[in-house]
Amino acid sequence: MKGVIFNLLEDAVSAEHGAEAWADLLDLAALDGSYFSLGSYPDAELLAIVDHASIMLAAPPAQILRWFGQRAIPLLAERFPPLFGHHKSARSFILSVNDMIHPEVRKLYAGAACPRFHFHDTDDGRLAMAYQSRRQLCHLAHGFIDGAAAHYGEAITVDHLACTHHGDPVCRLALGWHG
Amino acid sequence: MKHEAFPLPLDATPADAQTVEKLRRLLEQERRARRDAEAIAERGLRELYESQVRLALLQRITDFANQSNDFGAVLDMALKEICVHMGWDFANAIRVAEGGREAVACNTWYAADPKRLFPFVEVSREFTVPRGEGLPGRVLRDDHPHWIDDIADEAWFHRRREALQAKLLSACAFPISVGEEMVAIIEFFSSKPMVDKDNILLTITQAGTQVGRVIERERARAALLHDALHDAMTGLPNRVLLDERCRAAFQHLPADRTGLAIMVIDLDGFKAINDKYGHHAGDALLVDVTGRFEAAIVAFQQSSGRAGHATLARVGGDEFVVLLDGLPDPEAAERLAALLHDVLRAPTQVDNDLVNAGASIGIAYSGPVYDDVEQIRRDADLAMYEAKGEGSGRTVTFTDALGTEARNRMALERELREAIRDKQFVLFYQPIFALGGDRRLMGYEALIRWQHPTRGLIDPGAFLPAAEESGLIVFIGDWVLRQACTALARLHARMPKGSGEPPFISINIAPQQFLQPSFAQQIQRVLAETGVPPDCVRLEVTEGVAIIDADRTRQVLEEIRDWGVRTSLDDFGTGYSSLSYLQNLPFDTLKIDRSFVASIDDPKSRNIVRAILDLAGSLNLSVVAEGIESQDQGRTLIEMGCEYGQGFHLGVPLDEKAAFALVDERRAA
Repeated sequence: MKGVIFNLLEDAVSAEHGAEAWADLLDLAALDGSYFSLGSYPDAELLAIVDHASIMLAAPPAQILRWFGQRAIPLLAERFPPLFGHHKSARSFILSVNDMIHPEVRKLYAGAACPRFHFHDTDDGRLAMAYQSRRQLCHLAHGFIDGAAAHYGEAITVDHLACTHHGDPVCRLALGWHG
Repeated sequence: MKHEAFPLPLDATPADAQTVEKLRRLLEQERRARRDAEAIAERGLRELYESQVRLALLQRITDFANQSNDFGAVLDMALKEICVHMGWDFANAIRVAEGGREAVACNTWYAADPKRLFPFVEVSREFTVPRGEGLPGRVLRDDHPHWIDDIADEAWFHRRREALQAKLLSACAFPISVGEEMVAIIEFFSSKPMVDKDNILLTITQAGTQVGRVIERERARAALLHDALHDAMTGLPNRVLLDERCRAAFQHLPADRTGLAIMVIDLDGFKAINDKYGHHAGDALLVDVTGRFEAAIVAFQQSSGRAGHATLARVGGDEFVVLLDGLPDPEAAERLAALLHDVLRAPTQVDNDLVNAGASIGIAYSGPVYDDVEQIRRDADLAMYEAKGEGSGRTVTFTDALGTEARNRMALERELREAIRDKQFVLFYQPIFALGGDRRLMGYEALIRWQHPTRGLIDPGAFLPAAEESGLIVFIGDWVLRQACTALARLHARMPKGSGEPPFISINIAPQQFLQPSFAQQIQRVLAETGVPPDCVRLEVTEGVAIIDADRTRQVLEEIRDWGVRTSLDDFGTGYSSLSYLQNLPFDTLKIDRSFVASIDDPKSRNIVRAILDLAGSLNLSVVAEGIESQDQGRTLIEMGCEYGQGFHLGVPLDEKAAFALVDERRAA
């Protein structure tokens, strides 16, 4: 996992729960916590932080991840304005993840293991998004979608049609726009 | 991102609070420094990554461009590579045409998803737009890249409907130039925004340069090929290209092999103009003539709808060839020849003079007798020489009779070469006598015969014209000169000393031989080597040499006379017989042509002979009458005061042994 994700999480936690909360999470997880955005760190460290946040806040890790995704979007928009500026809608932004966002990520973080999303329109007019990754961070993706909706001032409902956490081979999210 | 202050314990002192605040500031500073460092590193990494990927792309395109000579294939490859690299949907190539007035799509395109893009590919792969219209038209007009950020917003974009159908969003188009000239435009379309324009610009501009190099090479190769196949001065096809076109045209002839003609054109007087005014003038004349010929050919082709196809080529200094194929009728080439003569009638300005360059034209038509086009060329060449022989401004069309004559001449020429090599010539000697009194033997005229291996002894009239025409006369003349002097030396050697005036030898010198730059030295060398007294050698020349170059003739005659060699003007009375030659050229002897002697019974002839004798007397020249065949003729000449003579009546030409035996007979008598 790239250091930048830890940095974003630190910023999100500190903003919502105060600087001490981040320090506490690191202590609880027994991590030294020096994350350089371009560095690579074990996925387990991120999961450990999430787990301890889950315990501290008495909320399931899925909810923590979704919250993180949601909060990370404005922080990302602050760090990488061009990725957002070229889109007029959340749909266009979300659809650009494979071809624009992840290529940009790979430019900065050589060897970054970015997931690939498969998009298609569903019969009921929603946008289906299939996700398969050993990291199983579908809830983080969900949070990113929430954040993108907020960024572009739209309302999107996300249904988890299938999930690897429930034994499905892939995660499938259905995105429905309102209004 | 601001971080919340760490909460202080309740029992913290103000000093503690200050310390915490200081640490918080220090932490904040460190955090900012880290962010800045990360930003710098990110920028560096992004640039490094982008340039690596771009260089890899350019390397692929460059490698391909270097290996290929096919502009279309290189364009095709580059479009695909750029599209894949950029993650775009469609790329298309448009050639610049009509001298930059039009952009023409050339069915060279790449589509990431052809099925989805089908309607857009269909309207994009082949179209023509004028300069200024549509996306490529704008690039052509402005000579810089154009961008479309949202196709839906651009009503001027012709293919908007199909582009939107294909869910395309953005586009860009770039010029490909070779030097200052735009040769093509490449356009790209994407369903996503084209974000990093600086990077795109850099990448495609560099890729475009590589693609442009293929055209540059294509043109350099074409230029080389053109130079190899064309004459640099006139820009006309040269011999190599003409040969190729001739062969191709011949191969496409119908079964009866009719419909093709080759015309060989040789400029008359070109060498003289070149010599007189210099090469620049000669070159200017050739360029001028080329222009006139081209105009004549255009006029010829416009004169009838089915005038066939004509290729004008320059194949030598002043030699042109026209290949005519698809001839409408058997006289077409003659009509064109007449036009070519016509356009040469007006003089050309050379320096401050007006000069006329006529032409001699030979024509040969294809036909069933020809197995290859080279034979037609040779026959046209032959006809041209025939035309040249008839004087300037003539056209001769090859016929079988002409061919037979020429073949005979060529065969004769070949035999003459063999004769020179195998020493088949012999000299005969005709005695020359003092006509009056004791009919004293004065000397001999050396006369050549050809001891032909199969045809026996041949008289000079049968082979000297061919020898002159082929230039072989120079070799033959040298041999005669040396042979005659050597024979005379032998004769002198066996005559006892003090046996009176030694006989002379009279040797005919052909104009070509006489005008050789080394002629005088050649005489000197032969005199030195044979040891004959110079005053026993008489060189006979005709007026022909003086007509060709009077000044030089005088110089040479004076030079050899200084050594004591005597000179005769042969065949006097038959040619121009210009008195100015007699006045200006140093001769010792006049030889009255045999035709006057043969008709000496005719008072007119007698008057001429008398006039010649008077003239010779007043110029202090001795006179020899040729062709005395009867006693009466001899007597008449004696009565008229002619001193010397030769002819069958006095003595026939004999071989060396018999001829020189006369000396002994005389002495014995």
